[in-house]
Amino acid sequence: MPRFSWLVDGSIVGLYLLGTMMAGLWLRKRVRRVEDFLVAGREMNLYLGIASLAATEFGIITCMYTAQAGYTQGFIGAFPGIAQAVAMLVIGFTGFCVKPLRESGAMTLPELFEKRFGRPVRWLAGVVIVMGGLLNMGVFLKIGGDFLCLVCGMDLEYLVYVMTTLLVLVAVYTMLGGMLSVLVTDFLQFAVMSAGLLVVTVLILSRIGWERLVDTVATHHGSAGFTLPIQTGTGWTYVIMQVLGTTAATLTWQTVVSRVLSAKDATTGQRVLTRTSFFFVCRWLIPGLWGIAALAVLGWKPLDSLDSAQRDALPAAIQEKIAASPVGQPLAGLTAEEAGAVPAAVQTRLGDASLHAMPRFLGSFLPIGLMGLLVAAMLAADMSTDASYMLSWGSVIYNDILAPFRRGSWSHQRAIRWNRVIIGLISIYLLVFGLFYQIEGDVWSYLLLTGSIYLSSMSVLLVACCYWRKANSWGALAAIFLGAAVPVAHLTMEKIPDLAPLAARLGKDGAGIAAFAAAALGMIVGSLLKPSPPDTSPPATASSHA
Amino acid sequence: MHEFWHLLVWSSVAWYSSVTLYVTIRGALDIREMVKRLDETQGEEDPPEGTPQ
Repeated sequence: MPRFSWLVDGSIVGLYLLGTMMAGLWLRKRVRRVEDFLVAGREMNLYLGIASLAATEFGIITCMYTAQAGYTQGFIGAFPGIAQAVAMLVIGFTGFCVKPLRESGAMTLPELFEKRFGRPVRWLAGVVIVMGGLLNMGVFLKIGGDFLCLVCGMDLEYLVYVMTTLLVLVAVYTMLGGMLSVLVTDFLQFAVMSAGLLVVTVLILSRIGWERLVDTVATHHGSAGFTLPIQTGTGWTYVIMQVLGTTAATLTWQTVVSRVLSAKDATTGQRVLTRTSFFFVCRWLIPGLWGIAALAVLGWKPLDSLDSAQRDALPAAIQEKIAASPVGQPLAGLTAEEAGAVPAAVQTRLGDASLHAMPRFLGSFLPIGLMGLLVAAMLAADMSTDASYMLSWGSVIYNDILAPFRRGSWSHQRAIRWNRVIIGLISIYLLVFGLFYQIEGDVWSYLLLTGSIYLSSMSVLLVACCYWRKANSWGALAAIFLGAAVPVAHLTMEKIPDLAPLAARLGKDGAGIAAFAAAALGMIVGSLLKPSPPDTSPPATASSHA
Repeated sequence: MHEFWHLLVWSSVAWYSSVTLYVTIRGALDIREMVKRLDETQGEEDPPEGTPQ
């Protein structure tokens, strides 16, 4: 039974929300130019950048899918965090792509692409970035609402009210203060979020104990819960996709790129990446530990996620198979006919059992007071993420997609007004999409696949733009189309009953790798096929290496 | 392999604790400096309605 006390815990949460709103509204009057609104006037320094990047890249959704990975895979579920930390270290130290990007003076990636590939590529790159980004963040709000309802013991029917309240608070300060408000609230949210994460983790380690956590992983997952996936057969496709995806995300994920572009110079941008890198191990390992603790305390009981009427409607033989299923795969033991007989609503509930295990565990594990700190920490994590994501993708819509339709030069005031309208529209989209879209499979795979709609093509474009002299607009267009076509086709196949088995056989990791391969092939073949005179403009790095 | 994860978990907790404290202090100073520089820049430059960007 959740132990959320509306008096004690509610006061802690209320105090946090009041502080955040005051901090968020504090700098709104200093937004005078569109650069202030979108990249904080490029005045962001190193430690503010670290706090902001860490807070942005850890939301409730992060906590939920990394805990789900710990619950369903054991310690090895944190592998993507290790892959991302290595990618950030290497890119930060070498300046690979990020140095020429920051030195170009662009406010977004597509703006850089225009210099090399022309305006149509800039516009199309903007569309693809926004499409991938909005599909990706479309599920943030619902999963954040799920978490808050579950740990507070509220019925999930209140989800829409929780989601709307959260969204309105974030939208208000983001629309008024832009990146300046986002940076200041990110800083406050980093401190609150980190305090909550650390206190809960130490409590889990001291109360449940390391040995019990290790025994739980060994019992449920065997050696596969500890060992590198290439040795245990989790598969090369998984490893390759994690390395490709996390490297591409470091180079081109709009919220990461906007921190590099807000830095006062390229060196500061690189240092933000190197010094935040180990945080990405913590970001996977700490909630992963919470997921393992949930498995230790609650076990794997997917039937408990159903109400009594739903459970009684299932034949006894099917109930037995579901109860004996491997962790996180409640329908794995059923034949196709048996799975087809399970109603869609029941399948959804069973599918969410591993995602909801961690908040259900914390709801009954934490004492009053600490529960308030946890909810404040998770609200902090979620608000910083939502604000940054709305601003980042809004900036691409304004800067790149609307660019061809802006007649003449706009005043700063008009530009800021349009950015505010765009953020408001993104907020409405988030609410509607979050309420109606149902994810198939685990959350991290969905995020990686929707991200790869643009991660694959944009990372290929960025590398080619910076380092391949023969790259041209034909190659860029081919890379964008092919890189987006594969994941969109896979997501569509998942929703068509006749094609769903084929999509499942290819898997999200296979589809993601295919997207990268298709984008690279498109860039090479397209660039070599273009018959016009050779592109004599130097790669974007020429000035920085001269 | 158990020892590897044991070491990684505790080093994560230790690293994150120290970084949180340090970044919180230095980040506050960064905000103060950012606001000061914005005020200086904007003091030198309100762009009237119609100023093109």
